[in-house]
Amino acid sequence: MNVILKNIGKKYEGREEFTLKDINLEIEDKDFCVILGPSGCGKTTLLRMIAGLNSITEGDLLFSNKRMNKVPSKDRDIAMVFQSYALYPHMTVYDNMAFSLSMRKERKKIIDERVMEAAELLQIKEYLYSKPSDISGGQRQRVALGRAMVRKPSVFLMDEPLSNLDAKLREHMRVELVRLHKALGTTSIYVTHDQTEAMTMATKIVLMNDGKIQQAGKPDEFYNRPENIFVAKFIGSPTMNIVEGKIIGGKFVADHNLIIITPSPSSALKLAAYEGKPVSVGIRPERFESGGEFGDTFTATIDVVEMLGKEKILYVRLENGSELVISTPGHFKYVENEVHSFGFDVESIHFFCSETGERIN
Amino acid sequence: MKLFKKKNELYLSDKQPLSTVGIVMLGISYAVLIAWAIAILWPLTQMVISAFNGSQEQYLMVNDNFVFSIKHFEYLFKETLYFTWVKNTIFIAAVTAVLTLVIVSFTGFAYSRYRFKGRKASLMAIMLIQTIPTFAGITAFFTLHSIISAVVPVFSRQMMLIMIYSGGGIAGNTFILKGYIDSISTELDDAARIDGCTSMQVYRLIIMPIAKPMLAIIALWSFIGPFMDYLLPRVLLTNPSSYTLAAGLFTLMSDFRTMNQPAFAAGGLLTAIPIVALFIVLQKQLVSGLSQGSVKG
Repeated sequence: MNVILKNIGKKYEGREEFTLKDINLEIEDKDFCVILGPSGCGKTTLLRMIAGLNSITEGDLLFSNKRMNKVPSKDRDIAMVFQSYALYPHMTVYDNMAFSLSMRKERKKIIDERVMEAAELLQIKEYLYSKPSDISGGQRQRVALGRAMVRKPSVFLMDEPLSNLDAKLREHMRVELVRLHKALGTTSIYVTHDQTEAMTMATKIVLMNDGKIQQAGKPDEFYNRPENIFVAKFIGSPTMNIVEGKIIGGKFVADHNLIIITPSPSSALKLAAYEGKPVSVGIRPERFESGGEFGDTFTATIDVVEMLGKEKILYVRLENGSELVISTPGHFKYVENEVHSFGFDVESIHFFCSETGERIN
Repeated sequence: MKLFKKKNELYLSDKQPLSTVGIVMLGISYAVLIAWAIAILWPLTQMVISAFNGSQEQYLMVNDNFVFSIKHFEYLFKETLYFTWVKNTIFIAAVTAVLTLVIVSFTGFAYSRYRFKGRKASLMAIMLIQTIPTFAGITAFFTLHSIISAVVPVFSRQMMLIMIYSGGGIAGNTFILKGYIDSISTELDDAARIDGCTSMQVYRLIIMPIAKPMLAIIALWSFIGPFMDYLLPRVLLTNPSSYTLAAGLFTLMSDFRTMNQPAFAAGGLLTAIPIVALFIVLQKQLVSGLSQGSVKG
């Protein structure tokens, strides 16, 4: 089932401003769509609107071209996994999973089959008759997934389901969720603030900020072609370096004059219109070149070296004190307080208009 | 000896060792608490002893003569309307408890889960009304009763009493239950709604079972209330056969024509039975409710 959002807007009672405005989004059948954004950007509101837990102030929500705005949650053929799992504490795991089916007056035999099937898949058979309070966080997570699965919904909604798990378990569940998504063949919509989750799990990412969609697309587009400065800075760790400057004579000159970059021919074409105008340059930490025998280089003092094993993160300072983050392979030797010159991988430089923040090249 | 010494070497408590002043203060605390406990327990033991003491006559005397006898109980059962009073009290208490419970469970749920006009103002009003003692409204209660009973003659004074008790209980307990339901995550409601529940089913299948401990406490409190209250039944009820236990038993020590203080002690002792019975039934819920309440405030 595909999900289409047309000009969706949300205004809460008693608020002056719209929390969400003009959200247009198309989620294909069997997509794993991750809605990503910092806290307070309206991503959970959007998910709750799709679930029918919050009303839709304006616009249309379409499931397979049927308007869903006024349809109650229980008739939308959806299931949702909550951040706190929201397991009913007074029921056993089995009853929790069977609850939605028994509310629909399914036959006992069918309920039992479905619950057992889900329990088998999620490996929670041993504690089907324990109370949620007696099992661990990871197990509760599985039960919450199981409860959503037994209904065989067409749309699977998840609201930060992994944020209460420890790092190891989260990594494990990430893979499990993707596997589950493929096995069930449903459309999944997943809300998170964790970019790693988004990058690893999604077939489509929607990045939101300030109640607007900043960019929607495939994970690699997000990393390699961010649409604006916000997206560029949000995706990737360490954060992309942003240097402010101007285009002078077809070259980028930083405000502090310490960095000069000659753009690649294809970028230069698009930058022609920005001659003399303020432009921001974005460069990923791993796209610097050590030594920089070719092209433009700059010198910097290495301030701090963070050894992560497979890579080293260098925090370097230019002469005027402004900071850049550079990532290099772990076996390269760098010493703190060393003065070094670095170059750029010109093809991978992102140019943004400083005023609007939009991508130029 | 060796073991004992080892024990002394290891200071296992997480608290700092007591200083001399600390030890003195601890001693004082114990003294105060023990005195307090005696002040509560002594009259109770006297009551129990006198109830079974055959050598006690019409007036209670503190003396050492003790002859075991159940004659005071016999007097209570044969010469007074004791069973009628028990029946009256249990009737009033049970109806009060059920009424309070049903209505409070609705109001608590509504105040916790719904936003509506006048929500804050009405909560405030409920709280303010609590500060006025029930007895201040006694003239109003009289008038109210005469108006209602003029229209509906079946409306007895006992029913008026039930209305007063449950009315007061609903106001105060709405607050308590609202607070308790507030602490239940609204994600549970959302999950239940997606699972196919209507609002009424969310209330009945999800919220009420979780709030059971608090409901048990409310039920117990509203049940105990009519047992403890003397003033209202004394004023409102005029016929001895409609008295509650507190009002009825008091006739055994206030009026010298019917004076029998040991029987009063015996009656007081028996009064505890229905309350203890309810307590035992609700015990499992109460323990978890009390401890949870203490954490959540």
